[in-house]
Amino acid sequence: MPSWSELQPFIVSGLALGGVYALSGVGLVVLYRATGVLYLAFGAVGAMGALIAYSLISAGAPGWAGWIVCVLFGGVLTLGYGMIFGPPLARRDPLVKAVATLGLTLVLFGVMDLLWTSSGGQARSITLPTDNGGFSLAQIQVTWTQVLSLGLGIALTVGTGAFLRYTSLGTAMRAMANDREITATLGVPVRRVEAAAWFGCGVLGGLAGLLLADLVALDATTLTFLVISSLAAALIGQLRSIPVTFGAALVIGLVHDLLTPITQLTDYRDMSPFVLAAIALLWVSRHGTVMSRSREEA
Amino acid sequence: MVQTTAAQKTAPAPARQGWAALRRRDTITRLSVITALLAFTLFGLPQLLSLYYTDAMTQVAAYAIVALGLGMLVGRVGLYSLGQVAVLAIGAWAAARLLFATGQPFPVVLVEAGLITMLLGTLIGLPALRLRGLYFALITLMLSGAITVVLATVNFPNGGGGFTGYNGGSLHIPAIRRPSIAGTDVAYYRYAVVVAIIMFVLVYAHIKTRPGRAWAAIRQSEPAALAAGINITFYKIWAFALASFITGVAGGVLAGADRFLYSIDFHPQDSIALLAVVLMGGVYSMYGAVIAALLNSLLPAALQDWGVSQDWLTILFGIGVVQVLTTAPAGIVDQFPRDMKRLGGLLWRLVRRPAPGAPAASAPPGAPGAPGASRGGKA
Amino acid sequence: MKEYAPRRWRLAAALASVLAVGGVLAGCSSSSTSSSSSGGAPATSSGAPATSASSGGGGASDTSSCGSKPGVAATGTPINLGTINTQQPGTDFTDIANMAQAYFNCVNANGGVNGHPIKYSIQTEKTDPAQIASDAKQLVQGDHVVGIVGNTSILECTINHKYWEGLGIYVIDSGIAPECWSTPNTAPVNMGPRYSSDGAVQYMISLKVDKIAFDQSNVPGTDYIAAGPKAIAAAANVPIQTFTTNVPIQSANSVALQLVQAAGKNGAVVLNFTPPEALKILQAAAKLHIQNNVKAWGCSTPCDTDFLASALGTAFDNKLFVNAELTPADGTNTPTMNLYRAILKQYGSNVSGGIGSFSQFGFVEARLAVQALSTVQGDYTVASVNAAFKALKDVETGMNCGKFTYGDYPMHIPNNADYTVTPTKGQMLVVPGSGCLSISTADPQIAQYVNLAGRAPADTTSLGS
Repeated sequence: MPSWSELQPFIVSGLALGGVYALSGVGLVVLYRATGVLYLAFGAVGAMGALIAYSLISAGAPGWAGWIVCVLFGGVLTLGYGMIFGPPLARRDPLVKAVATLGLTLVLFGVMDLLWTSSGGQARSITLPTDNGGFSLAQIQVTWTQVLSLGLGIALTVGTGAFLRYTSLGTAMRAMANDREITATLGVPVRRVEAAAWFGCGVLGGLAGLLLADLVALDATTLTFLVISSLAAALIGQLRSIPVTFGAALVIGLVHDLLTPITQLTDYRDMSPFVLAAIALLWVSRHGTVMSRSREEA
Repeated sequence: MVQTTAAQKTAPAPARQGWAALRRRDTITRLSVITALLAFTLFGLPQLLSLYYTDAMTQVAAYAIVALGLGMLVGRVGLYSLGQVAVLAIGAWAAARLLFATGQPFPVVLVEAGLITMLLGTLIGLPALRLRGLYFALITLMLSGAITVVLATVNFPNGGGGFTGYNGGSLHIPAIRRPSIAGTDVAYYRYAVVVAIIMFVLVYAHIKTRPGRAWAAIRQSEPAALAAGINITFYKIWAFALASFITGVAGGVLAGADRFLYSIDFHPQDSIALLAVVLMGGVYSMYGAVIAALLNSLLPAALQDWGVSQDWLTILFGIGVVQVLTTAPAGIVDQFPRDMKRLGGLLWRLVRRPAPGAPAASAPPGAPGAPGASRGGKA
Repeated sequence: MKEYAPRRWRLAAALASVLAVGGVLAGCSSSSTSSSSSGGAPATSSGAPATSASSGGGGASDTSSCGSKPGVAATGTPINLGTINTQQPGTDFTDIANMAQAYFNCVNANGGVNGHPIKYSIQTEKTDPAQIASDAKQLVQGDHVVGIVGNTSILECTINHKYWEGLGIYVIDSGIAPECWSTPNTAPVNMGPRYSSDGAVQYMISLKVDKIAFDQSNVPGTDYIAAGPKAIAAAANVPIQTFTTNVPIQSANSVALQLVQAAGKNGAVVLNFTPPEALKILQAAAKLHIQNNVKAWGCSTPCDTDFLASALGTAFDNKLFVNAELTPADGTNTPTMNLYRAILKQYGSNVSGGIGSFSQFGFVEARLAVQALSTVQGDYTVASVNAAFKALKDVETGMNCGKFTYGDYPMHIPNNADYTVTPTKGQMLVVPGSGCLSISTADPQIAQYVNLAGRAPADTTSLGS
């Protein structure tokens, strides 16, 4: 067993990893609550946005231009998907809506591999100005980017919770995610609210993609399927509770990194998100709450 | 409540009609057509194909079984599993281990691999079956993620000793053996097709008898099925166990086809692509499984032969999933004949009317209903 | 084949595997250096790229020297060659085949091989054993190849070596799987993950580190790879701790922490990963400010790319030492390197990575094949072509430390001496004064091969003067 002083840095790195999961996990839940769609293309959209930013920056564009394009790409693409495929799928089961976004994931993934090939051993990365500063904690450096992502996670947790609950647009989104037709009968401009929800979520996806490309890697495969691990946190939050998702993401990150220095368990540490999610899901289902319902109220 | 999905509401209709129609048709004609097709698949096809395509067709046979299991879960019981590739991996692992460790006949190993997979799959899936819809899909994805990590650490057997049968330091990894009667590629292709036929018959027998009726009732409405005295949990487990069994057998077929197995060949993401092709093929008909397997295993081989990047295939599958979900829930197997009929009607009208009328004639065929029109348009 | 679909996805996996295995290939990319090497002797090089003048741009040399009759297109019956390369998202070795194709195109445009053009068939695979096997059949039955040149695949040697052996085919490839070095009919121009890791560990030992933490991606064959570094460290009495990491890595921070803690203040961390994954760990260490908590960092060949050097900035300059299998490309002004750049420029539009170790491997393999083919008298049959391949002896590739020999041996490790490079201002440059490093016979496989074939004489054309 590692000593306490050896473990300390893993606590810090675990929280940073948790911040990564939180960013996309919270993003998934926010989207789900606002649109009623589990947007599994979240990672792919962010990855493609970040790759576009990378190409622009490599071609000589200023950094901020690349970042804005990345975020806008996420927003516009997601808006486009939502506007085209939202209505025909509106009355379908959440499961069908989620699987349809897997279709988008496949399309984006194929496009990314075509356009940003690795046939020459290319390794890409994107750095943000916030990488350079930071402070030292438990013998290791914490960059402002990590702080930023954690902060964004917290801001989302607090902000979107309040937004969805207290603003009229937020209320309209929740109502719409729950039942589009009834919401429409109540006089809510469904199309516009939907558009706002999709666009906002896409922007979030682009923003997350940019940060994750910096924190994890600028790699289409890694970022696209990071969603699977992040989904674990969202599932623990039952796709509903943003604070629980945020907390679960931190716990998953901590567990994962704390297992790293423990020789006997280190090979299995990558199971942590899946095992924790499975335990949580089963525990909740045993206590017979919403989990066994197929349609959630947002 | 559960029964709310549109898929569940709309889907049964075409499926029921399809099966009823099949039943109405002359059984003898149908049987002879099927027999002729199978005879061609077994004996004619290998004569026409190069070894490259014969190998691809062996994969089609194995994946048809996997697709059949997943299609049955999705189409007949309403369980969207995103973990079937992990189940396949368990079957392949068990078969490879047995083939290295024992001299048992291949068919015995296939059955054992199926049973082991059934046992493990059911044990792992049992708690998941308490969940429904989206949550079932997601927990299967989580479980397959966990299984993948275990497999990556344990590795597939490669002729080593111990429980895992893995020797990471091996300089010469031996091939997994094939049945003595099917050592060559062509013979093994026939072998795989025969195994696939047996699996299809097994599933067919279930669908035609009490379990099939119970599944149909469950899919339409769980409360109604409950009221009718159907033990929902029992029949769901039965479906899951049957799917796991045949997928395990498919894993065994795959072990003999591939001859070398690696954990990097079984990833959670693969299950997503598998679900995509199964949905595209059509989950309400057993033929859909064959189409899914052709999409999954033959199309990539053909694309490579034609020099087209596989990335286009990924893109195509992505578009296919969205298209199937939005406009054609019964998949290609249902959509294609109708498109052909519509095309035939269109052509017939074109022929009957002289050229000037042609543009006008092209409009009506789409008209019979909005869904039809959009389906035609996308196809 | 099978599944691309599902398996296709294995991208991730692929990556991983690549790494592991792949370490090999990824190899070197550009760097500038000048060192005169003579065999195992230390080369001189002034660290500065100074010496080597620029040749980089390559305008200089023309391509016609690739063939025997400059400017005359070959019109004879084609000689069919083939290759199988991994191509899947995240793990793509087609640059090697594409560069070989570029070389053959150049040859075909300049007289061909004794008047015959070379027809090159490229098959790709997605780390899928069934597909790899059927690709081989397609090459033989469909494309009627008489020789296999340029194979670069994570699994291909394992799956197909028996098939090639049965046909009497002697493969010239860039290897990854163990069977690429341990079979009579495969001779790679690269060293592969094991021997390249050996080289990285040897260099660390030469820096007098007191412990080594060796990490590689978790793919099949990890024990085979780790056996080399373990033997080398044991012979030097340096403790070594080995790790494996699942790829793609999601938490590079914890991996970096784990390795740095294991190595300790005077220790070294040695990585065997594909470029993107190695980059994750190195960047994490830099961001955590722990890269100086160990004495040095080592890396097998894949890290030798300018993509990595430029992404790392200056954090690892003279801190990271990468085992490099081929002459660094930047600024080396040898006839071979100039020809390579010229061919790349004129015929290499398909080579997406441009100058780099992948395309260099393709160049070397194609060059060896052409040289062997030009010795064939009479018809180009499987028998005559492969006899010529096998007869290659002490050939100057112009890019390897030692001369290349195929020969009739039960195993082949023809490339067992190489360079060490370090990132310098965004490029990978040969470490000043390092020269060619012979992989130690402390690795039992190397000992076995050297016992059979001896050490190859130095290729004096590899580095400019």
